[in-house]
Amino acid sequence: MYDAPTLERDVTEAKTKFSARNVQVWYGDTHAIKDVSVEIEDKTVTAFIGPSGCGKSTFLRCLNRMNDTIDICRVEGDILLDGEDIYDRHIDPVQLRAKVGMVFQKPNPFPKSIYDNVAYGPKIHGMTRSRAELDETVETALRRAALWDEVKDRLDSPGTGLSGGQQQRLCIARAVATKPEVLLMDEPCSALDPIATAQVEELIDELRARFSVVIVTHSMQQAARVSQKTAFFHLGELVEFGETGHIFTNPEDERTESYITGRIG
Amino acid sequence: MTLFAFLILLVAVVTGYILNLRAARAIRAGGANLHSLDGFHGGFSALVTLVPTFLLIILWLLFQGTIIEALVKASLPSGTLDGLGVGEVQLLMSEIRSIAGGRVFGTPEDWKLAAADHLVSLRATSSWLLVAVTSVMVIGLIYLSRRTVSAEFRARHGFERIVHGLMVACATVAIFVTIGIVASLVFETYRFFQMVPFWDFVLGTSWEPQIPLREDQIAAEGAFGMLPVFLGTLVIAFVAMFIATPIGLLSAIYLHEFASSRVRSVVKPVLEILAGVPTVVYGFFAILVIAPAIRSFGTDLGLPIAPNTALAAGSVMGIMLVPFISSFADDALGAVPRSLRDGSLAVGATQAETISKVLFPAAIPGIVGGILLAVSRAIGETMIVVMAAGLIAKMTINPLDSVTTVTVQIVTLLIGDTAFDSPKTLAAFALGMVLFLMTLIINIFALRIVRKYREIYD
Repeated sequence: MYDAPTLERDVTEAKTKFSARNVQVWYGDTHAIKDVSVEIEDKTVTAFIGPSGCGKSTFLRCLNRMNDTIDICRVEGDILLDGEDIYDRHIDPVQLRAKVGMVFQKPNPFPKSIYDNVAYGPKIHGMTRSRAELDETVETALRRAALWDEVKDRLDSPGTGLSGGQQQRLCIARAVATKPEVLLMDEPCSALDPIATAQVEELIDELRARFSVVIVTHSMQQAARVSQKTAFFHLGELVEFGETGHIFTNPEDERTESYITGRIG
Repeated sequence: MTLFAFLILLVAVVTGYILNLRAARAIRAGGANLHSLDGFHGGFSALVTLVPTFLLIILWLLFQGTIIEALVKASLPSGTLDGLGVGEVQLLMSEIRSIAGGRVFGTPEDWKLAAADHLVSLRATSSWLLVAVTSVMVIGLIYLSRRTVSAEFRARHGFERIVHGLMVACATVAIFVTIGIVASLVFETYRFFQMVPFWDFVLGTSWEPQIPLREDQIAAEGAFGMLPVFLGTLVIAFVAMFIATPIGLLSAIYLHEFASSRVRSVVKPVLEILAGVPTVVYGFFAILVIAPAIRSFGTDLGLPIAPNTALAAGSVMGIMLVPFISSFADDALGAVPRSLRDGSLAVGATQAETISKVLFPAAIPGIVGGILLAVSRAIGETMIVVMAAGLIAKMTINPLDSVTTVTVQIVTLLIGDTAFDSPKTLAAFALGMVLFLMTLIINIFALRIVRKYREIYD
């Protein structure tokens, strides 16, 4: 099913979710992101591709201010979420991260039960009033992560006991349980086998109905399969950004073409 | 002479190593493919020579004294040992030994001088014999291991097997020492309970163990109830942990999560200096600073406070234990993978929520390990208590009173005159047993807790 031409996907009705303008990131003296401007649309999967160390993960981590946890990291420029600058003084990164969920490269379930993993976000944000409501939230999140049927009988067993693919879907469930508006995924399939990867990719396509999804990936095939928009990063610069079909069939920049045909990377 | 035997062994080990190494190299130079590297052939020879010979020398040294003494006794004129007690025989033998060593007092009988001469000659023979046996043995072993060198011989396997055996032996040493310690405790404790009824000891509320050891001594009647001593230990340990646990944990969390690297690089070493201060110095601190402070504070409030208080000893002990807990907790927090922290922050948890709900549960085993170590130290600590809390056993849980602890009492019982057939001395072993059981129970208890609450991450 993923072999269908990506050109035909419908991307016209989108509205801008994230708007980044002239973003610069420094790690100490290293200029990791150079002048990146990009518009990320709602209900769309946007893929960031590029060779290792090109800054795509760094940029992704700017979108929910995870870079704040790194002392030497400095971000300049404007990143607007629904028109509001997320690096503004009065924005609380804690609230921002509840709105912009994240899934990491390596599955990182907490060493708690499956239920507690998913309930973690809703609990700390006080999203539910009763146990029944929390149960429902957990079930919905697990269903959205296509994991419910596999774990519904063992919600009390530890999340770390699941297989790698299940763990990653558990992390996705944990992220969607707080009802975010945007879901950031940092190479979510790099630690998974092909079957688990296919499941997660299918899931990403379903998540698009509710969230704006931004996915960093090493695999160009994956970007082509799951995304509607693709951004190609190279050496900290955003080289090209556009519709996925367009980028993969008709890249405008020479570097993009070199990368997708395998000459650099 | 003994030194000479060891020298021979050392030379033999090196020689065997070199011989086998050369032999292996020669085979390799001849174009053959050896199973094991040359070094393993050499190492095999070295170990084969070293281990049995070394054991022989050690056993020889351990038993030569006993054997020579038995020989000397047998050579004494018949009838001299008849009717003598164990002590008198020992006395006689030590007299002979000192004559053999050249320290003659008075004019000893001729047969004693003869026995001393015999002792000297036996010792000389034994030394020469040791050197001779060692030499023969190492030559034989070097020869045997030299003959093994061949392309097919699996010297690496042999070498590994011997090293494996040595490791097993080392591990068993620890186990046997533990068993030995427990056994000696149990044995003496048993003797104590033959003199003092078990329940009088366990449930007695009065501790006055300074009973007379000789007929003419004037001393206490004697009462061996352990409860006051036991309570004293608990009170002091409780006070210490009450101070050490929160300070240790919170400082660890601050250092690990909130402190900038510059603050950390200063505070952490300073905290670790605390762990290196001798306990006697803590004792001074307790007597000179803390105890007067508590006392004057009490006087201001109108409370009568003893000059030696459990509070003074316990709080200083608590300060001593802070670095244990904080460095264990710091390590445990540091061992929690960064990905868990990121995962928690990414769903919008605050730093405090991340610490209390994710990091802390994952770090529990290490943290409890540190606390446990601190508790064991608190229970076993002697010096601070001797100096700051006093020696009087009082049946109280008031930390403002003067108390004593199990370890302090053991020390006072074993200082000065001791006789191993008096309940006064044997009581020390019974107290030791109590201490041992106490730490054992705490350990088991803590392991249970850890197993129940820990969250395993991979």
